[in-house]
Amino acid sequence: MSTVLDPTGELRVVDRPRVERPASLDGLTIGLLDITKARGDVFLDQLDLRLTERGHHVVRFSKPTFTKVAPIDLRQEIATQCHVVIEALAD
Amino acid sequence: MHDIADLESRGLPGVFVASREFIDAAATQAAAIGFDAARVFVDHPIQDRTDDEMRALADRAVDEILAAITTR
Amino acid sequence: MELSDVADGFVAVVKRDCPTCTLVAPALALLARSAASRGMALTVLTQDDPAFPEQIAHPDCPAVLVDDTDLGRSYRLDIDTVPTLLQVVDGEETARLVGWSREAWRQLTGDPELGHDLPEQRPGCGSLTLDPGRSDELRVRFEGSRLRSRRVEISPLEDEMEAMFDRGWSDGLPVVPPSPARVLRMLEGTTRAPDDIVAVIPPDLVPCSVEKVAVNAVMAGCKPEYLPVVLTAVEAACTDEFNMHGLLATTYFAGPVVIVNGPLSRAIGMNSGTNALGQGNRANATIGRALQLVVRNVGGGVPGGVDRATMGNPGKYTFCFAEDESDPRWETLAVEKGFAPDASTVTLFAGDGVRGVVDQLSRQAESLARSFAASMVAIPHPKLAFAFDMVLVVSPEHARVFHDAGWSKDQLRARLTELTELDGDDVVRGAGGIDEGMPEAFAGQRFPKLRPGGLTIVRAGGGAGLFSAIIGGWVSGRMGSDPVTREVTS
Repeated sequence: MSTVLDPTGELRVVDRPRVERPASLDGLTIGLLDITKARGDVFLDQLDLRLTERGHHVVRFSKPTFTKVAPIDLRQEIATQCHVVIEALAD
Repeated sequence: MHDIADLESRGLPGVFVASREFIDAAATQAAAIGFDAARVFVDHPIQDRTDDEMRALADRAVDEILAAITTR
Repeated sequence: MELSDVADGFVAVVKRDCPTCTLVAPALALLARSAASRGMALTVLTQDDPAFPEQIAHPDCPAVLVDDTDLGRSYRLDIDTVPTLLQVVDGEETARLVGWSREAWRQLTGDPELGHDLPEQRPGCGSLTLDPGRSDELRVRFEGSRLRSRRVEISPLEDEMEAMFDRGWSDGLPVVPPSPARVLRMLEGTTRAPDDIVAVIPPDLVPCSVEKVAVNAVMAGCKPEYLPVVLTAVEAACTDEFNMHGLLATTYFAGPVVIVNGPLSRAIGMNSGTNALGQGNRANATIGRALQLVVRNVGGGVPGGVDRATMGNPGKYTFCFAEDESDPRWETLAVEKGFAPDASTVTLFAGDGVRGVVDQLSRQAESLARSFAASMVAIPHPKLAFAFDMVLVVSPEHARVFHDAGWSKDQLRARLTELTELDGDDVVRGAGGIDEGMPEAFAGQRFPKLRPGGLTIVRAGGGAGLFSAIIGGWVSGRMGSDPVTREVTS
C-alpha cells in the first residue's frame, strides 16, 4: 500500500461518481447479496420481507465467502437480473 | 465495497450494509479504490444478537437503505 | 522540549560507525564521572548501536545511555553531525559543540583534564538522520502531520502510475506520484508555510495552499528549488489582470506562457539559450507543467469541461522559458517592468504558440524591423487590429543587428508599432475579397495594429540562427488578459 496526497481542490468526495439513482423502484428488480457472514441471513430475510411487503421485486444471491470479492460470474448474474443491489451484512 | 464498486461500474446503483465497526475501514477502502460506495451502518455488535434483535436492526435500516439506491 | 526529560548536564549524540565517536568514547566515560561528581548528568544518545559506547553501557558508568536507533530524538534535536555535545540547563539546550575539539569540550564541560590523551581536534561524521532514505522517512514521521491534503491509499493491486491516470490527475503524460515524503521534500524549497494560501484557482475558485502547489509540482516533476517560481507563476496567473479563468474557458488556442527573469532562472538551471522554447530542460518543462496541473487539479479546469479550446496548442502541456540576460546592452523584461536588476521575476502571458520569423539577410536594423513587422501584421489575421498582444522573442543573432545599429529595445518597439500600422481601406470587412476584417468605420484611417503596451519583447535562443519568434496572444486587456509580472520572493 502506498500513499499519495490528493492534488485536487478536494471539492469532490469521490474519484469515480456513483451511478445515477432511479427516482423510484417501481418495476425494478432489487438484488439482495448475502456476503454469508454469520447472522447476516436473519437480517437479509427480514429485509427481503419488508421490501416484498412494499411491493418490490427481490432476487436473492449469496457469495461463496465473505472473505473474497464475489466471483465474476456471480457479479455478471446480478448485473443482468437486477437493476439495483443491496449487499449485507458486514460486521 | 469492492463488489458494490464493481456492480456500479456495470450500471447498478448499489449499497452495502455493515455494522458501525466498519465506518473507518469503509472510508479507508473507499479512498483506496477511488470509489465512495453508498453504505448504511447498523449498530454493533451483530454476532451475539437474537433473531428478533437482528430483525429489528433490519426494520430500522430499511428506509435508509432504500434512500441510498434511489434519488429519494 | 525534547530535553525536558533529561537531567541537567550534558547530552552527547554518537554512532559507532564514526571514528571520531569511537575516539571520544573513553573521554565520555570520564566526563560522566567528573560531571556526576559535580552533580550533573551525562546522557548519551546512540544512533546505530544500543551497546555503543561500551564504556557508557557499563553498569558502573553513571551516564545514561539512550537507544536512539529510531533517530527520533536526533531528528527533533536537529543533529547533523556526530559527535554532538549539548549543554542542558532546566531542560533547555544552552550550548552545542559539533565534532571533537579538546579545548571547546574542556571549556563547555568545565573539566580541565578531558581528553588529555586525545588529539586536539577531529571533525565529526554525518548524523544518521541525514542519510538519504532515512531523512525522508524521518520527515514524514515527524512532519507528516503538517500536511493537510487528503491521503489517498493506492492498493498494492494498483499500478501507482496508472492510478494517477485513473483518478484524472494527469495532463495526459505520466505524473510523479505525490507521496508525503516527496511533498515534504518539495516544501523544503520554500520558506512559506504549507497552509499559506497562494491564490484562488479558477474555474472552481478553490483557495490553493502552498502545499497543494507543492503536490502538483511534485507531480509535474519539479525539483524543490523550482517551487518559488511555481508559486509565483500560480499567483500571477490567478490575478484579475491575467484572467486565468477566461483564458481557460476560451475556445481560442491560448494558454499561459511563463517567462522567468533574474538570477534565480540561472541558479535553477533554466534554459534561455539553444532550444529555449523547446523540450529538454527540466526546469522549463516542469515549471510550466506544474502551473497547468494546479489549474487542472486544484481549480478543476479540464479540457472538455471548462476548457473549451477548439484546438488548443501543445504549449498547454507546458510553455515556460527564461530570458537570455547575458548581454548587458539588452534591457531585460524584469528591468523594463521596473524591477531591480538582481530581482527574479515571473511574467505570465496568454499565448497561443510559436511562429518563426526568418530573416537571414538583413544587416540593417530598419530592414530587420520591417521583416518582423511584416510577420506581426498577420497575427492573428492580417485584417484585425488592437485585440491581440504579442511577445517577440529576439534571437541573439538578430539582437546583434539592433545593438550594432545602436537601437534600444524601446526604439525597436516604437519602430515596430509604426511599421505595423494598418490602412483602414485595406482591412475593412470585404476588402481584398475577405469578409473578415475591421468595421466599415475604420475606412479612410490609419491606425496601429497593436494596442499601447501590447508588444512584449524578450531575448532568448541559441547563438546560431538568424531566426526570431512571435508568440501571438489572446484577447488583450479588460476583455481578456494583460501580461502580469511578479517578483519571486520565497
